[in-house]
Amino acid sequence: MILHYLDLSWRSLKRTPLISALMIAAIAVGIGITMTSLSVYHMMSMDPIPQKSDRLFQPQLNTMDDGQTWWTEDDLPYQITYNDAMNLYNAPIPERKVLSMRTGFSVHMNSSEVKPFLQGARVTGRDFFAMFDLDFVYGGTWSESQEREVVPVVVISTELNEKLFGGQNSVGKQIYLDDTSYEIVGVTEPWDIHIKYYDLNNGAFSNREEMFIPYSMIAAKELNSWGNTNGWKYQEINNYQDRLQSEQFWLQFWVELNSPEEEQEYREFLTAYLEEQGKRGRYSREKVQFALRDVNEWLDYNNVVSEDNRVLVGLSFMFLTVCLANILGLLLGKFLRRAPEVGVRRALGASKRQIFLQHLVEVSVLGLLGGLLGIGIAQLGLWGVRQTYSYYNALATMDLTMLLAAPSIAIGACIIAGLYPAWLVCRTTPAIYLKTQ
Amino acid sequence: MLKMNNINKVYQTEKVQTHALRDFNLEVNEGEFIAVTGPSGSGKTTFLNIAGMLEPYTGGQYLLDDVDVGTLSDNKRADLRNQKIGFIFQGFNLIPDLNLYENVEVPLRYRGIKSAERRRRIEDCLEKVGLASRAKHLPQQLSGGQQQRVAIARALAGEPRFLLADEPTGNLDSLMARQVMELLEQINREGATIIMVTHDSELARRAPRNIQVVDGQLADFTLYQNRSADSVVELASGA
Repeated sequence: MILHYLDLSWRSLKRTPLISALMIAAIAVGIGITMTSLSVYHMMSMDPIPQKSDRLFQPQLNTMDDGQTWWTEDDLPYQITYNDAMNLYNAPIPERKVLSMRTGFSVHMNSSEVKPFLQGARVTGRDFFAMFDLDFVYGGTWSESQEREVVPVVVISTELNEKLFGGQNSVGKQIYLDDTSYEIVGVTEPWDIHIKYYDLNNGAFSNREEMFIPYSMIAAKELNSWGNTNGWKYQEINNYQDRLQSEQFWLQFWVELNSPEEEQEYREFLTAYLEEQGKRGRYSREKVQFALRDVNEWLDYNNVVSEDNRVLVGLSFMFLTVCLANILGLLLGKFLRRAPEVGVRRALGASKRQIFLQHLVEVSVLGLLGGLLGIGIAQLGLWGVRQTYSYYNALATMDLTMLLAAPSIAIGACIIAGLYPAWLVCRTTPAIYLKTQ
Repeated sequence: MLKMNNINKVYQTEKVQTHALRDFNLEVNEGEFIAVTGPSGSGKTTFLNIAGMLEPYTGGQYLLDDVDVGTLSDNKRADLRNQKIGFIFQGFNLIPDLNLYENVEVPLRYRGIKSAERRRRIEDCLEKVGLASRAKHLPQQLSGGQQQRVAIARALAGEPRFLLADEPTGNLDSLMARQVMELLEQINREGATIIMVTHDSELARRAPRNIQVVDGQLADFTLYQNRSADSVVELASGA
């Protein structure tokens, strides 16, 4: 029967092409605008690493004196000090952990073939790639000994490899980062992340790094952070060594904890660590304070999706509601004009339920067509958004979920708009129209 | 088979109550062909609509094959209507977007009859009304008489026990009216019970039983055979 209703719907649309086109256009515009804002919101708020987001944690340590505050909801700094990063990195647990920091270099090939250019780089531990599920096209991560012995090695991205070596296997080749030659040990696969969740310092949606070098280069090359460095007390810093030993926060730290037991064990470890640091007189605190947030908690904590985005989505849904109100009016006119035919159908044995269903199928078809056209309008809207800032390139797109959501929302919205007209027409007393038709 | 006991139908507006039917009593037996006559506004169509369960009544009891229609839900009434009753209207009431085949198919679809069986019935019915060759035509491509024959085919397709016809020849010229009447007589001979509302005294005369509705009441409930329509008035007993 549904197929029959679909056939009737199609005939009905063809019978009143102008009104049908108006309704489809109204749905399409509403859905187009709604899906534009919703798609951006969806990409911003989606879990960036769903397969293990609940197993990756960012420890936050309060290593400030009592009475000191931070501009976070729980007074915990976002980053940690170099000493804490090194201590946690060298700790026996957990098995997989990385410290990291964004820096940058002038990249060149010591030849005239490639013009030098400035490029961001991530200084991190060798487990970074395994932790964040970043696979390799060629080679792999550097070895423990290379990390420990401060060997100048680098992992580059597919995009950079394409730029420098035309996509060839570049493992074993050299590139210059500033004045030091680094050996390429690995080329990563394209990394499709929309949110730079592992380091939110330069913006959650800023470009990720194209180069990765061992953390031991921080001290060896006296690398500066391209992110934020924050302090909570005055300290005389005259040289890089002073900075490394300071209480300034400038490094990120991530751990992978694969079970609640591991999480509990690490919490106990952090408690003991902070107690021990306090006893050493590093800070004056009565109670230790730290937090262990997984990826999604970390994104919420940092308000990655701002209130503005939510308001925008709300406004676009309100616009869709206005479109639906117009559609409701048009549907009322269209359906009530068809009351005589409904009278005939009722006389021939159609129940109210069947008439109701027939009309709901018709509004669903309208919704489907409007939804499909709305996807086109949304694509246009997203293209417009992408033209504003480069970081929208990855965000202002429709993934499969949104592509499926668009017609679903359109159909659902049209069914809501069509409920009253369909109910009204199925309540019609058939006898009224049979004599007068 | 069809029994109405003291049926009342009141149309209520803000200030006025209109009694379309008052204490209407009628019993129709299997295989009858009844012509219902009466002046305009007397309640003929209201009676037919109530008989076809297209309108609710405000009092009394209506039994169709011993089923009390008043106790049924809308869905049950729709099922009963679909299975037992065929309608023929003065204005034909064909659905303009559907071709003849599809128009005849409408009641069969609501009954949930399978496609092959639907095809057989539709082809049989269109054959019976002499329009099998025009199955793909749209209603507006046919004359009034042909459209009414399609409406009859549609009413017959469901193989109803009751055929309710409201002025079936009202929009037709006399020649076409006669053809339609002959078709109804043939259908009646094949076993269907027919109740036909008409203004046409000549057609009414051809029905074996005539009843007259005046001011919402049955003015005559006598079985007539081979009598003139004029004599119906003379013999009116007011029963």
